[in-house]
Amino acid sequence: MKIIIGEGSCGIAAGARKVREALLNQRAQSEQKLVIGKTGCIGMCFLEPIVDLYTDEGQLLSRLVRVKESDAKRIYSAALDGDLSEVKDLVISKDDASFLEKQTRIALRHCGLIDPEDISAYIASDGYKALEKTIKSMTPEDVIETIKISGLAGRGGAGFPTWFKWNAARKAIGEVKYLICNADEGDPGAFMDRAVIESDPHALIEGMLIAAYAIGASKAFVYVRAEYPLAIVRLEKALAEARAKNLLGENILGSNFSCDIKIKAGAGAFVCGEETALIESLEGSRGMPRLKPPFPAEKGFTNAPSNINNVETFANVAWIILNGGEAFAAMGTETSKGTKVFALTGKVKRGGLVEIPMGLTLRDVIFDIGGGIRDGGTFKAVQMGGPSGGCIPEHLLDTQIDYKALASTGAIMGSGGMVVMDEKTCMVKMARFFLDFTAKESCGKCVPCRIGTKRMHELLVNITEGRGRPGDIELLLELSNGVKAGALCGLGQTAPNPVLTTVRYFKDEYEAHINKTCPAHECEALKKFSIDAQKCKGCTMCARQCPVSAIKGEVRAAHVIDQDKCIKCGACLALCKFGAVVSM
Amino acid sequence: MRKVFKMQNDMVNLIIDGVDISVASGSTILDAAKSVGIEIPSLCHLKDLGPFGACGVCVVEIKDSPKLARACATKVSPGMVVYTKSEKALAARKFAVELIMGDHDADCQGPCKLNCPAHTDCQKYIKEIADGDYAKAVSTVMEVFPLPASVGRVCPHPCEKACRRKNVESPISIAHLKAFAADMLMKEGKAVEIKKHAPTGKSVGIIGGGPAGLTAAFKLAKAGHDVTIYDQMPEMGGMLRYGIPEYRLPKKVLRYETDAIVSLGVKFKNNFKIGRDATLDEVRAKHDGLIVANGAWKASSMRVKGEEAEGVWGGIDLLRLVATGQRPNLGSRVAIVGGGNTAMDACRTAVRLGAKDVFVIYRRTRNEMPAEQIEIEEAIEEGVKFKFLCAPDEVLSKDGRVTGMRLQIMELGEADAKGRRKPVPVVGKFETIELDTIISAIGQRNDPDGFDQLTQTEKGTIAANESDFATNLEGVFACGDSVNKGAGIAIEAIAKANTAACALDAYLKGASFKPHKPVLSERNVTEKDFTDIPRQERCKLNIRPGGERRLDFNEVNLPLSEQVARNEARRCLECGCHDFNNCALIRTANLVKADTKRLRGEFHPGFVERKLIAIERNQRKCILCNLCVRTCQDLAHKGLLGLVGRGFTTVIKPEFRDEASIAQCKDCHLCADNCPTGALKIL
Repeated sequence: MKIIIGEGSCGIAAGARKVREALLNQRAQSEQKLVIGKTGCIGMCFLEPIVDLYTDEGQLLSRLVRVKESDAKRIYSAALDGDLSEVKDLVISKDDASFLEKQTRIALRHCGLIDPEDISAYIASDGYKALEKTIKSMTPEDVIETIKISGLAGRGGAGFPTWFKWNAARKAIGEVKYLICNADEGDPGAFMDRAVIESDPHALIEGMLIAAYAIGASKAFVYVRAEYPLAIVRLEKALAEARAKNLLGENILGSNFSCDIKIKAGAGAFVCGEETALIESLEGSRGMPRLKPPFPAEKGFTNAPSNINNVETFANVAWIILNGGEAFAAMGTETSKGTKVFALTGKVKRGGLVEIPMGLTLRDVIFDIGGGIRDGGTFKAVQMGGPSGGCIPEHLLDTQIDYKALASTGAIMGSGGMVVMDEKTCMVKMARFFLDFTAKESCGKCVPCRIGTKRMHELLVNITEGRGRPGDIELLLELSNGVKAGALCGLGQTAPNPVLTTVRYFKDEYEAHINKTCPAHECEALKKFSIDAQKCKGCTMCARQCPVSAIKGEVRAAHVIDQDKCIKCGACLALCKFGAVVSM
Repeated sequence: MRKVFKMQNDMVNLIIDGVDISVASGSTILDAAKSVGIEIPSLCHLKDLGPFGACGVCVVEIKDSPKLARACATKVSPGMVVYTKSEKALAARKFAVELIMGDHDADCQGPCKLNCPAHTDCQKYIKEIADGDYAKAVSTVMEVFPLPASVGRVCPHPCEKACRRKNVESPISIAHLKAFAADMLMKEGKAVEIKKHAPTGKSVGIIGGGPAGLTAAFKLAKAGHDVTIYDQMPEMGGMLRYGIPEYRLPKKVLRYETDAIVSLGVKFKNNFKIGRDATLDEVRAKHDGLIVANGAWKASSMRVKGEEAEGVWGGIDLLRLVATGQRPNLGSRVAIVGGGNTAMDACRTAVRLGAKDVFVIYRRTRNEMPAEQIEIEEAIEEGVKFKFLCAPDEVLSKDGRVTGMRLQIMELGEADAKGRRKPVPVVGKFETIELDTIISAIGQRNDPDGFDQLTQTEKGTIAANESDFATNLEGVFACGDSVNKGAGIAIEAIAKANTAACALDAYLKGASFKPHKPVLSERNVTEKDFTDIPRQERCKLNIRPGGERRLDFNEVNLPLSEQVARNEARRCLECGCHDFNNCALIRTANLVKADTKRLRGEFHPGFVERKLIAIERNQRKCILCNLCVRTCQDLAHKGLLGLVGRGFTTVIKPEFRDEASIAQCKDCHLCADNCPTGALKIL
């Protein structure tokens, strides 16, 4: 039997490496040495650390979840004895197991199944067959045609047809052409690309090489954020292994096709996910967007024709080449083909990596796969596409996962961030969070973004801190539309989306804030504590502990909070044994 | 033939704002528009540096395109139809400019200039005085009015009240410096050269030779008109001559300045009173246009019982008598009723006329007195006694001659709309004082006699349009103390005279006159802005001792020494922007009629940086157009500047590691030349 530990960043953060050490300890003490291997992100981040038990033939016997170091002894002995009753309590529940069953995995096809640090594991799963097929039997035009048939669109968020970009780069005139992978995944709450690189780096490499072949690029870069150290280590290792096997570098697989891939670690600026800013950064300049046109296909890295795609886009390519464009296009809707990976997070029961065919509804993803809202809460909205996206409310839950359908709600498909919010989430505060993010991450180049997002954030701070004034909503909308229309790049043009959608669907919450109440009871400054005179026993506890002496009252008589003095620290609420302090 | 064909091939035809244009392919919309004189404003574009697209001001609408395009970067294409002034483009342009202005923590003009009713460029002449160039300083004042030595002596100087130096220790002595500069010129017998336009052949009559009339005459004469001033008094100067005592403004100083107006070709007709020597119509018939600036020469009555008694004077009547050289005997006990500057002039004149006990009767307290503090202090030094919270109740007399006054005792009640507490009588409480003379200085009004064709306000003043001072009679404009709200300070009359003169000039030329309030950037300063400024006390004026000066009418203030004056001028904080006249930002803000404060919020980090050898960099004014960074990199080939930080806190900074790189910044100034605002100053 084989013991495989899920060692993506998510598993490691939950303690997977400690579990591995404990298991290795057990093996050292045991006479029988079982294989203890690793894999990447299995996708069920909410259950990490996960330990899978496989037969020697590679069949999954059992999946153990939320494993602790202290479980190592019984796991090892169970694996030795083949008696799983010892670890029955750790086995994944049927309900949780359904998280994976409802998915269709193409980009994530190897994630959690193979060892990301072993090229032979990838090759054993049909790895590099597509590259071989491409080089040996297809012309670049064939490749582009196949991608065109597949309907693959840019998974970074904008959803631009991939074949079109490849074709433009192929046709652009230039001695040297570059292929660039955008792995600068910066949306808060998004981790699809990280999971792919950490769990299946060769899928990215293979997809990139096929693309390089198609456009005629001999040099390629992966621009990955430095905050992904594990991804960088695994990608470096994978590149070295591929190079050693002549799958990368000069005369790949003995053909005339040569291409090498280099890693460039980005310093963590969100705007560098914008393709022209990424190119500036790659060139060693400050990451600031360039005016388009000219598009990168014409003038990109060092002014040479360049093509940029996102990690997930590349991760689909080998599958499409092997299975045909039609197979990919068979999945999805009229306007959106194939599958899409989402990082499902927030107040959902089961969070993690989800890959589903286009056309499923938001309800399918959040309720069927994600299991609905945790802690007995009710669904309020889902934020799609991070800071560039928008929120979608309850009544639109049956919207299909489709570029067009999602855009019509005011949100976007985005790169795959899907943050679920419950009734305790203040939508104004949520918009404020995202504007704080974009205002700080604005590169500072263009006026509408640099100053406009700042002013929007200031208004949102005022509104959530009880200083909102009539007219603020209108001003917010004016600023939103002005920034959207005037900003130079995608960051600024989409930055107002969280505001526009929350105003569209939750205007009453904005109005309530301006009238000094937060309906979700989340905004500190708008909280109001008071004492229920019926319940108050006059124990004086709250009055004695109030840090600003805002509570007055005689012993054994009802106490009163002076609202002018109250700093809303909530100490009284926590202290009162009689439930007399109420927060409004 | 072949060549022509090729040329045509390289040309692109398009339409911008309805104009058919043919330009070389590869041109931008901005270039194409410029080629036919259509100006699209931009703040971050310089042709030599290529497109950048930061400011968002040059946006234009292209037919059938949902998105606005940046004209600086968008290439022309055949058949393109561009609208540079469509509603959408204008709105987006204004939005971008308002965002920039809302983050532009800078002053276009100093508060001194802004708060001078006539907008005299105080900062400029203060600098010129600091530099010792007095002729230039006087010229600067004379851009606005022709009486720097006179007004410098008597102006209550709203400029100084606004002067930011008060946040450090005390304001610049702006008014005295102005008089000082004019005195320096006068001492040397020099006059400022005044440029005069060619004669227009138009004739202008001005009724009243006070500050308003003289200013209007000066302005209109410069414009080339033939100007005649009619005045009822023997000499010009109006209230400056007949209402301000000699000890504050010597007549010879005023005379020097009115003489200069004569030498400009203005004709003076004195002892000429409308209604007595000619009717308004008769004067009007002699000229193509008329300005009425006849002033407010009647003292308001106290409206108390017995005030017709002998020995009751109007304040301005007394001052006028003394100004003409007479020295009336007021007796030994004199009371002046009122708390304004005329009351101060009257009480100090009474002292000089030999009265032993001079009282100022004022119904509020010293805090509420409208008179200048310095006037009150100097009056006290000269022995004047103040009776506050007293109001005249009855003039007591014997045989028709004043013997005293009964005073109603007052107390301060509720504050009025302006926050000034209203005096209310304390019921039944009175005081009686013995007096030989009572001088009423509680206000003055105009005399409408002879001007009855002009529509009047409810107050009895001449009604004139506030924007151009036109009256109901065509070609007749009215300004100064006799108009609308009535009497004010000299510089206010001067301000209105300038406007009226411009309006009349436009009328004479058949042009339209549209006064507009320019869009300006103004800082909101806080105490923090002044903490680093070293203190340097305001200059002490050279004032004769009270005991000495109360005996004569000689000027109270002795001249400042040149060194003291120039040191005083050097205290100026130079709030106004050095680049105001060349600022592309404010020009654009005016073009789009931006509201500079609408989108104001927190400002980006602001500091003044002097790391570069040749350039001082003021981050508060920087709009991050990047022109300096790109100029230094691509035109100067030095690359000394770069962007630091992200988002709203991004700033431009030089990064120096060694002396050699610092030394590269020398004598180039290209960055400052290309800066669209006053953020970069050549040292």
